[in-house]
Parts: sequence; structure tokens; C-alpha cells
Amino acid sequence: MSNMNDFALVCENIGMQFGGLAAVSNFALSISERALYGLIGPNGAGKTTVFNVISGVLSPTAGSVKLFGKDITGLNPDEIARRGIARTFQNIRLFRNLTVLENVLVGHHLRREATFGEALLAFPRYRKEESDMLRTSEELLEDVGLGDVAHYRASALPYGQQRRLEIARALATRPRVLLLDEPAAGMNPAETEQLMQLILDVRDRFNLTILLIEHEMKVVMNICERMTVLDHGQIIAEGTPSAIQSNERVIKAYLGGGVIARH
Amino acid sequence: MTGNRSNDLMRKGGIAVALLLVFYLCLFWVETGWDAYKVRILNLSAIYIGITLGLNLCNGFAGQFSLGIAGFMAVGAYTTALLTMAPQTKSAVFFIDPLIWPLNSIQWGFLPALLMAGLVSGLVGFAVGAPAIRFRDDYLGITTLGFAEIIRVVFTNTRSITNGALGLKGIPPQTNLYWSWTFALICILVMVRLTNSSYGRALKAVRDDEVAAEAMGVNLFYHKCLAFVVSAMMAGVGGGLLGNLITTIDPNMFRFPLTFTVLMMAVLGGLGSITGSVIAATLVTVAMEVLRALEEPRVILGMFLPGIPGMRMVVFSIALMAVILFYPKGFMGDRELSLDSFRNLAARFRRRFLYKQV
Repeated sequence: MSNMNDFALVCENIGMQFGGLAAVSNFALSISERALYGLIGPNGAGKTTVFNVISGVLSPTAGSVKLFGKDITGLNPDEIARRGIARTFQNIRLFRNLTVLENVLVGHHLRREATFGEALLAFPRYRKEESDMLRTSEELLEDVGLGDVAHYRASALPYGQQRRLEIARALATRPRVLLLDEPAAGMNPAETEQLMQLILDVRDRFNLTILLIEHEMKVVMNICERMTVLDHGQIIAEGTPSAIQSNERVIKAYLGGGVIARH
Repeated sequence: MTGNRSNDLMRKGGIAVALLLVFYLCLFWVETGWDAYKVRILNLSAIYIGITLGLNLCNGFAGQFSLGIAGFMAVGAYTTALLTMAPQTKSAVFFIDPLIWPLNSIQWGFLPALLMAGLVSGLVGFAVGAPAIRFRDDYLGITTLGFAEIIRVVFTNTRSITNGALGLKGIPPQTNLYWSWTFALICILVMVRLTNSSYGRALKAVRDDEVAAEAMGVNLFYHKCLAFVVSAMMAGVGGGLLGNLITTIDPNMFRFPLTFTVLMMAVLGGLGSITGSVIAATLVTVAMEVLRALEEPRVILGMFLPGIPGMRMVVFSIALMAVILFYPKGFMGDRELSLDSFRNLAARFRRRFLYKQV
């Protein structure tokens, strides 16, 4: 086994207890750099809880999260974002009243150097930073195919584009690890196809390590190199897509045990 | 390219300076030529523009529903008054409990006193805001309202600093149109710069979705405090100008209805719109005075009607209901009036009426 520091993201024995309910227990995960990793499981298995622990929304009751060997357990979400983890949300959480471009610009805000006073007085350093931000944001929007709608209100975009914008906003923080929470939810087959292409593209272009939760099996099986299956907060399987597809416990978790298939 | 841009900047700067000059000439004309009553109304308009913008920053742009504005105004008004009053006036006013040292022996100029008012109310704003911003929405509103009442009650009881319920009299009437409108202009400028900056976008992001903003690396504590403190500073300086305009202040001036008046201005104009706040603050201030006529006793068609105090507020309530019915987001929503929007309007007008037959 290679050194723990070689992995981009490592979760060790994470437990998340809500009162008497163990949403996740003994969760472990090691993702190597530039991997595309899937996290799947039936509804209520604890997938989003794992995301919330990694991104700092929740502090785990046990275990630790390491990013490139550095412990980030229990840090605030904004600090974790600064350390290099960005995420999207299961139910889209855009800044609805801001334009598409402004949404992406907010993602750049964490790298600002100019202080509030400099921004207020329009000092040269601030003006330069602002124009750099604007340029890279516009480029990013072009890259993900939202260049035409940059000045629309985010809430005015169709669903598929809102999902794209969430990914673009996350990329604007220049993450090293990207967490995607059900990116294909609610998309039609054509949109799903484009999304898969987008995910593969951004991984290559931005040198990203991607962890994604997905229900759409086509997405997971096609683009993920490895995956972990959760059920009732426990890991029930881990491996390559083909190994998972034929795993008895996984099939049982998804279809239910003791059911005799009728033809 | 660069040459063009700097030329453009020079041109814009030139226009701005010219406009400012014209504006201050107008102020000079009004200050010297108009009667005191109208000048008073214009002073009040300017002061309320600044304070409304402050409230709008916190409640509209950053989405932190704060009801503490009257408290911050009180802090600013008392700070400025105590710093600008002459020592002999102070000893005459504080006849029950003498004013403590060093306040009893100093007299500052108006500008340093106003800056101090901004600083002190900013500090109070931080002290109130830092713990309170853990709450959201109504809970934050109730907490800040409580803090504002605490400030008022403290001012009523610290007699050797504030003269208690008797209030302060004989504050030098130093506020004039130049002071008040310069304050209003600075507030407008700060708001325009702030809301269009990276920090302003972060505030709006916090308003739209706190969870997402934090996940994008926006430090919630810092940004909410920023909105709270800047808002409190604007209210503090505005309160200082107000105190030195009407020359007498007491704790009861700074009860909840004052916050409500400012909130009404911000809501009428549109939470999240700078121009909306400016328009609504001016309209409401003027209307407050014009509608005084309703409260005077008068004879209509041979019938004597006694004046009913508070009739103005009935009109405002009806106006507020009408606005909420027909413009749920205020006159302006979160849009702004700018030269571009006039240009767009003109273009729409032309398309609609001039090219229709073509």
C-alpha cells in the first residue's frame, strides 16, 4: 500500500451521528489524484452526509478527512473551499438574483488580495484583480458553454444550464478536488450525455480529482473509474464499475433482499 | 487603447466635477435664498437618504434583517452632540448630574465629531452585530430590535453622560445643506462602489444562499459583520447630523418608530436598490411635512373638523399597503436608475411608437 499522502482525498473511519441515528459509520475512502470516483447507494444511504462532512457543513462525530495529507476535519466550509475542495448541491443552490457571470465571480472572491478599503477606493491593485477576475470568469463560462447567457439572471436559466453553472461556479474557486452531488439529476438523456462529456473535460483541463454522487447508473458506470457503495450508512462494496455491477450485496441493496423476480 | 481609456476617464471625471459644481451651486442658492422650513426639509431628506442606504446595505443587499438602526442613530447623535456642545452649555444642561470628565471640558469641530460618531457607532455595530448575526431573518430582527431598545434604556439611565430622560439641549446648529448633502453623496458613492465590487457580490451571495456562499469560500462572519458595521456607521453619522440639525435630542426620539420610518423608506424604494432608497427617502421626508396639513383643524364645507394627530401615519400605512400590493418589491425592486436605463427606455419608446408603421 502506498503512502497515505499520495492520495488527494482520504476519509478515515468517518462517523456521523445525529442523536441516536448513525447516518454514516466507519466510512473510509481513498481517492488518488486525478481520479473520477463514484459514491452510490439507495436513497437515505448517507451519501450527501458524507459530502457535507468532507465540505465542512457537518463536523463528523468520529474519524478524519485529509486533503493531500493535511487534516481538514471540522474546518469551516469557507476555509475548506480555500484549501481546495469545491462542491455542487443536490438541489441546485445558485445565487438566484445574481447574473450568471456574477455567480462565477463570487467563486473568485476567495482568492482576492485587495482589502475592503482598496475595493471601496478603487485602488490599482483592486482594479487589476477585478479585471483579471472578469476575464477568467468569462473564459470559464465560454468553456462550459454558458458564454451566451452570461448576463442572464441565474434563476432564468433552464434546469440543465443551472446545473452547468453550479459546476462552473465551483470551478471558479480553482479547486483541487471537486464534489458533485447528483449532477445529472433531472436531466434528459441528451443533457446527461453532454454533462458526462463536461465532467471528463474539466477533469483533464483543470487537473481535478472528482468525487461524484449519482443515481443515474449510466453516468456512474461510464465515467467513474472506481466507486464505493453505501447502504444504511455502511460501505457495502468498493471497486471498479464491472465488479460493482456483479456484486451480490449491491444488487440486494438496490432491489431488496428476498424478492423473487417474476417474469 | 490605453490612451482612449484614459481619455474616456478624463472626460467622465470632468463631467462628474462639473455636475458636482452645479450641484453645490444649487445648494448655495437654496441655503441662502429659500426659507428655513424648506431648507430644513431638504436637510432631513439628505440625512434620511444616507441612513436609508445604510439600512438597505444590511437588510437589502446583505439580507440581514436588522431593526437596530435607531440605536445606532442614537449613539451617533449623542456622540456628535457631546463633542460639539460648548462646555458652558453642557454645565447648564447637566444640572442634575454633572457631565463626567473629559466630556465636560472639550469641544471639537463638527467634522472630527462626525467622524468620531461614525467610529463609535461602528464599534457598537460590531459589538451588537458579531453575536447577533448567528441568527437569521425574524430572529435577527428581534435581537437587533432588542439591542436598540437596550441602547435607548442605557442612555436614559446614564445621567452623567447623556443627561438621562431630559436629553440634550442647545446643541450647536452646525448641520447645513453642504454637510448633509455631502454625507448623502458619500453614502451613495460608498454604496455604488461597494455593491459593484467583489465584496458587494459576496454580500448578495450571502443574501441569496448562505450555504452555497460559504461553500464557495465566502467567510460568513466577516461579510455579515462588514455589512452590519458599515450600516451602523452610516446611521451613526446620519444621527449626528440629525442631532445638530434639530439642536435637541432625547432618548425617546430613538424609539422603534424611527427605525420603522427608515425601514419604510428602504422597502418603498426597494430593498437592494440604491436609487430606490434615494427616491423613497426624499419622497417620504417631503410627504411627512406636506401631510402635516391633514393634522391641522380646518373648516370644510362649513363643517369644523378638529385636527387628528397621527392622520399622516394613516396615509403612510395606506401608501405602504398599496405599494406592497402593486409593487411587492418596492418602486425599483433591485434595479437601478442609470443613464443606460434611460437610454434603453428611450430606445424602447422609439421602437414602439416611431417605427410601428414601418
